[in-house]
Amino acid sequence: MTRRTETLLVGFASLIAAGGVAIVTATTQGTVGLDAAAAGAAHLAAFGGMVIACRLWAPASSRLLLPVVALITAVGAVEVFRIDPDLGRLQRWWLLLAGLIGVLTLWLLRHRGVEALRRFRYLFLLGALGLLLMPLLPSSLPLGGATVNGSRLWVRLTVGDRAISFQPGEGAKVLIVIFLASYLADRRRALAEMPRTIGPLRLPEPRQLLPILLAFAIAFLVLVYQRDLGASLLLFIVFVALLYTATARATYLVAGGLLAGAGAVGAANAFSHVAVRVAGWLHPFSDYSGSGYQVAQGIFALAEAGLVGTGLGNGSPWLIPAAATDYVFIAIVEETGLAGGLALLAAYALLITIGFGIALRSGDAFRSLLAAGLTIALGVQTLLIVGGVLRLLPLTGITLPFASYGGSSLLANFVLIALLARVAHEERL
Amino acid sequence: MRQALRRIALTLAGLLAFSGIWLTWIATDAATRFRTDPRNVRAQEGSYLPGAGRIITADGVVVATDATDGGRTYPEGPTYAHLIGYTAAAGRRGLEESRYADLRLRNDDSITDWLLGLGGSEGRQPDDVILTVLDPLQQAARDAMSGKTGAVVVLDVATGAVLAYVSSPSYDPNRVAAGTLDPEDAVDAVIDRVADRVLPPGSTFKVIVSAAALDAGVAPSTTFPDAEEYLAPGSGAPIGNAGGGFCGDGGTLTLAEALVVSCNAIFARLAVDLGADLIVRTAEQAGFDAYIPWETGAARSSLAASGLLASDPGALAQTGIGERDVRVSPLHMALIAAAIGNEGLAMRPYVVDSIRTASGDIVHHSDPAPLARMFAAGVAADLLEMMQAVVARGTGTAAAVEGLIVSGKTGTSEGSGGPHAWFIGVADDAGHKIAIAVVVESGGSGGRVAAPIAAEVLRAWRDR
Repeated sequence: MTRRTETLLVGFASLIAAGGVAIVTATTQGTVGLDAAAAGAAHLAAFGGMVIACRLWAPASSRLLLPVVALITAVGAVEVFRIDPDLGRLQRWWLLLAGLIGVLTLWLLRHRGVEALRRFRYLFLLGALGLLLMPLLPSSLPLGGATVNGSRLWVRLTVGDRAISFQPGEGAKVLIVIFLASYLADRRRALAEMPRTIGPLRLPEPRQLLPILLAFAIAFLVLVYQRDLGASLLLFIVFVALLYTATARATYLVAGGLLAGAGAVGAANAFSHVAVRVAGWLHPFSDYSGSGYQVAQGIFALAEAGLVGTGLGNGSPWLIPAAATDYVFIAIVEETGLAGGLALLAAYALLITIGFGIALRSGDAFRSLLAAGLTIALGVQTLLIVGGVLRLLPLTGITLPFASYGGSSLLANFVLIALLARVAHEERL
Repeated sequence: MRQALRRIALTLAGLLAFSGIWLTWIATDAATRFRTDPRNVRAQEGSYLPGAGRIITADGVVVATDATDGGRTYPEGPTYAHLIGYTAAAGRRGLEESRYADLRLRNDDSITDWLLGLGGSEGRQPDDVILTVLDPLQQAARDAMSGKTGAVVVLDVATGAVLAYVSSPSYDPNRVAAGTLDPEDAVDAVIDRVADRVLPPGSTFKVIVSAAALDAGVAPSTTFPDAEEYLAPGSGAPIGNAGGGFCGDGGTLTLAEALVVSCNAIFARLAVDLGADLIVRTAEQAGFDAYIPWETGAARSSLAASGLLASDPGALAQTGIGERDVRVSPLHMALIAAAIGNEGLAMRPYVVDSIRTASGDIVHHSDPAPLARMFAAGVAADLLEMMQAVVARGTGTAAAVEGLIVSGKTGTSEGSGGPHAWFIGVADDAGHKIAIAVVVESGGSGGRVAAPIAAEVLRAWRDR
């Protein structure tokens, strides 16, 4: 694939972003205005910036990566705008900022590459923990925590009489993956040695595991304390999957599975807001107006979808609570049908395939683990929220990467993509 | 490391593929089951072809159809008003609202429609909604309630099918459809007193206290000392019997006899002796403070503010005779009676039997479904026997109908404009059972006012 094709595809995604918004405004307001042009321009600016940054500082990177991300982002941006035009306009600014952060990430790594990150791994761990702890700051401070929907995972920065909210946990996800990749790259041989056995299970030296278990326990406790089940589950699965990747020892998978099972049962019993979500998941219609309302509305939206959906602007996705964040996938399916939903899933499958391809080609353990960890995080996050809205799993309030409304999520995921692009570049040098 | 990574990549890709398969399945399933669900607002907001189907009772009486001028018309007028509701400029109500989508053809802009139109065919015809209601029962209930304020509802015990559904006073939905009556101006007539209005159940609540006692090991033959009144510990006001004096001869009464004569002093004491926990648990099992699924929505019944009964024996004693904060709808009391007649199992109430095409093919049929196990089978059998004695020789004799085995319980509860008269019961015609609940607001005594109304409706059922 040539650079020209990459540019063309990114331009095509921007056209989808502009055209989608144009269709939405035409069906809902009867006019096509500046919004469509602004959507296309913002898209082109953010991804054009990334394409140029890649040419300058990661020229050997995969050419498929950015077009796929641009496509998913375009579909998400159109649907978010459709659900709430104000959120859609806000999301445009987040997209521009995210593009800038992505470019900045590539620029920072231009000389020494991702190798530079390795030296600072404990700094990243500390940073991640700091970010995770931030929502617990008192709400009265200018920079304080805030509780939304029973979970305390937001930080509100108050400047004068304006306030900006963000979820620092999204950034922590990337920082923790960097830390884990770096740590595991150094220690994987020791971790894979399993001199002790209990029955069929082989166990490593306990002291090898101590720091990583400690890091994990802190992150886990903070998240449970903030009652953010989704992010907690995401970090845990990424952690176990990376440990398994680094050591190829099934022991870690078995132990992780047992821990996750115990944690899930414990959380369902210990936290009323988790129990409510589980009840709404299993029996949405037995408490229709209460805990089951959101899930039931999601089912009604799916009932409307059919093969090609109601058409952009012709559905009623706003009836679902949190349609632009948790339920954006269902909203897309309602208006673009099974065809749109399956195409979007295929795009995610392509994205993680590219990510794993980068990881598999890497000769160096750190880079390979880094690409693997970032890709696993993307894939697992997608599966958790898609599975949640499709009622395969209890609903966990996390975003659909690149598609949901959410500034913190978009920023973190652009850093993630920039890192992936850089790893891909370094492999081909 | 590569091998492990490949496994993880394959697992994630496999799960994504499975999500796609699952999406296809769940969307198809949702489309068949929930596209016209009464709670689905999308069904109301969709775009439809002009023309709607008819609503027809189980015995073939058309109660709603399209008028020649394009609107809707309701041939039976006020008789079915609260069940059918209306489709009018003023809005939608009742089945006309909940079955709006079932009665119409979705304008899908489909190729089929386009081709049929090209071929000069009239295209598809809208479907009809067939009810479980029996017209003679509905007419009898309406006649019995004429001039009174209140409700009558009749359920098939074994299935939960609604056989009659009357709220009085009523209104003419034709006038709403024509725009000559604004429902906002006739709130008193428009309110659905079957499902949407909750009142204190009075002595009909004694079946719940009896169930709690039977559950705790008390037998129908267990004796209790007769009393003129009961003063709960720490309470200032004693609870006396209806009409004053003793319930019996001043000696002892069995639990069954206490229910037959509806003895307030014994049931108030029984509620306190059994304790708040057991009373609350029994009432909650019978559907108090729970969501009741019903076609057009039903009010929740309530027992008492949380914790009140445990801390205030006086309130518990009053609750034991269905007063204080106990509130329940006639629909819910009919469900309780039906559960007693169905070995303790309440069936989910439903009124739409099937949806038929204009040519008579059934496209959807409602299957009876259990709602809740309200009572243990043994408890329900004892209750039914005790209630049979109530009608045979107690407060409910006016509900007796020759040829039927009628079991019931009367109630007379406090109302601001005079006592509310209640009757709940089960009638057995050679094994086929129906349950009935009657309430006449500010009507007087349950035994004298509500029980005869029940008898009239049951007679119509016997002669069906």
